[in-house]
Amino acid sequence: MGRIQFLLRCMFRHKLRTTLTMLSLVTAFLLFVMLRSVAVVFETGWVSFEEVRLTTQSKYSMIELLPLSHQDTILSIDGVVDITHASWFGGVFVEGETGDASFAIDPETYFDVFSEYVVDPEQLEEFKATRTAALAPESLIDKYGWEIGQKIPVISPIFPNPAGGPFVFDLVGSYSSTNEGNDFLAFLFHYEYLTDTFAFGRVGWYMLTIDDPERADEIAREIDKRFENSSDETRSMTESESFRQFASQIGDISLMVTGILSAVFFTMILLTANTMVQGYRERIPELAVMKTLGFSNSSVSAYILAEAMLMCSLSAAIGIGIGTLVVLGVQEYMPPMIPIYFDPVTCIWAGAIAVGLGVFVGSAPAINANRLVIVDALHAH
Amino acid sequence: MSLVSLQSVSKTYTKGRERVDVLSDLSLDIEKNDFVALMGPSGSGKTTVLNLIGGLDHPTLGEVVVDGASLRSLSPSKLARWRSQNIGFVFQFYNLLPALTAQRNVELPLLLTKLRGKARKTNALTALDIVGLADRSKHKPSQLSGGQQQRVAIARAIVADPAILVCDEPTGDLDRANAEEILDLLQTLNQKHEKTIVMVTHDPKAADHAKTTVYLDKGQLSVQEPVS
Repeated sequence: MGRIQFLLRCMFRHKLRTTLTMLSLVTAFLLFVMLRSVAVVFETGWVSFEEVRLTTQSKYSMIELLPLSHQDTILSIDGVVDITHASWFGGVFVEGETGDASFAIDPETYFDVFSEYVVDPEQLEEFKATRTAALAPESLIDKYGWEIGQKIPVISPIFPNPAGGPFVFDLVGSYSSTNEGNDFLAFLFHYEYLTDTFAFGRVGWYMLTIDDPERADEIAREIDKRFENSSDETRSMTESESFRQFASQIGDISLMVTGILSAVFFTMILLTANTMVQGYRERIPELAVMKTLGFSNSSVSAYILAEAMLMCSLSAAIGIGIGTLVVLGVQEYMPPMIPIYFDPVTCIWAGAIAVGLGVFVGSAPAINANRLVIVDALHAH
Repeated sequence: MSLVSLQSVSKTYTKGRERVDVLSDLSLDIEKNDFVALMGPSGSGKTTVLNLIGGLDHPTLGEVVVDGASLRSLSPSKLARWRSQNIGFVFQFYNLLPALTAQRNVELPLLLTKLRGKARKTNALTALDIVGLADRSKHKPSQLSGGQQQRVAIARAIVADPAILVCDEPTGDLDRANAEEILDLLQTLNQKHEKTIVMVTHDPKAADHAKTTVYLDKGQLSVQEPVS
């Protein structure tokens, strides 16, 4: 019997109690990994977002549209390489459902700005040439079981068809992203199709590439300055910042996650500390015997502390392991509006919390074990 | 020179405002390879003497010298190490760790040595063999009778080969037949393995197995006589 084996024997002296406590801890760490994997997206943005890409939207609200005339002004600014625009359509493909992301775009420039998007050249040509054409991400095609060449009826609560009934698009192809699983891929169709019906000459937002990511803030400021005091003031930012702001409309995800996890871990501290203190009280005679046999005060304390840390670390390892597998397994299937992204830093944090938790819940019993007077302990029991 | 020497030892406990003098000016010498039975009424200080010899407690006054070492001069950690190397303890209620098998209970003191796992296991099985329980090595304390548990406790006490065994009423929780077996075992350890044994007992029949009987009364030595 080695020291580790001795620790494990002591830890599982009450198998059911220890197992239940560990299961609670495993659940806590599983939750931690999963919730942090959601929060990390909202805190840092998607990793696939290019920092060389900026977005320009209305200063006051995302739903305020910008004049199409802004495009040339923005393109004339030093450092801006390409520009395109998109407008939120809010398409619903199956009546009664909430719908999927669908954008009215400029087919001539959109794929120049989003160079990571992969589309068959022939399909792209057909898309550009056909006013009613649409391209859909492969995930959406799989979701609805569409086929290329199919007509797709789409209802928009934002732009209801004045002629009544749905808008009908010709699905001419599919596209994907080289940043697999981490991109905001939408159903795309011609902006002209929209303006033919609604002649308003405005767009939802602009996306532009710049020549130097170091100048992102400077260029964003310059764009906004050009439209200062106009009737259509703008707010420009990097794409990841834009996403962060969009996501913040849901609420302060990070704060919510922190709140939930704080409550979970506070409960865990109480539960684990209770288990440790109960275990310590039951083992006072055993600890006195260990000291009698020649274990020093500090070595008995170390055993108690190590036991608490082992319990927390083992549980954390299992929780982190399961959590990581779950996140890696589901992240590519999550809808764009509910993204989840595995960040290894989350595991480091979980490990640090496990060690901290172990030290915290093990400290009081360890200190008491250190102070335990053999004669008193043996006499009392 | 005596192996164990208690020199003018006094021990006073304080409970709130009350002072309890357990031992007063007690001197006692125990020779190497002796088997001493400590007898006396309850509260006479027998267990306190045992605690002092085992380095579990320090006297209020006086000195305890074991094998030339003054126990008071040792720091708590050195005293713990000294205990692990020199003293084997046997308790009335065995005090085995319930989560461990007999073999692992016996191995426990060896975790403090530099012995490797295999050697620890071999030594533990040898100690269990000496007490006649080699075939019960995989049993947990709850699966053993009282007498068997006490044998495991004795195996644990001797596994690190200490010179002295201190036994606090080792037969106090056993029936006569088991008590006789334990006392015979202690006698064997004293005679064959040359262990010096100090045993607290209320039982005159248990004391008959010792070489010397020491009577304590009100914290003082009343009689010290060799067993005839």
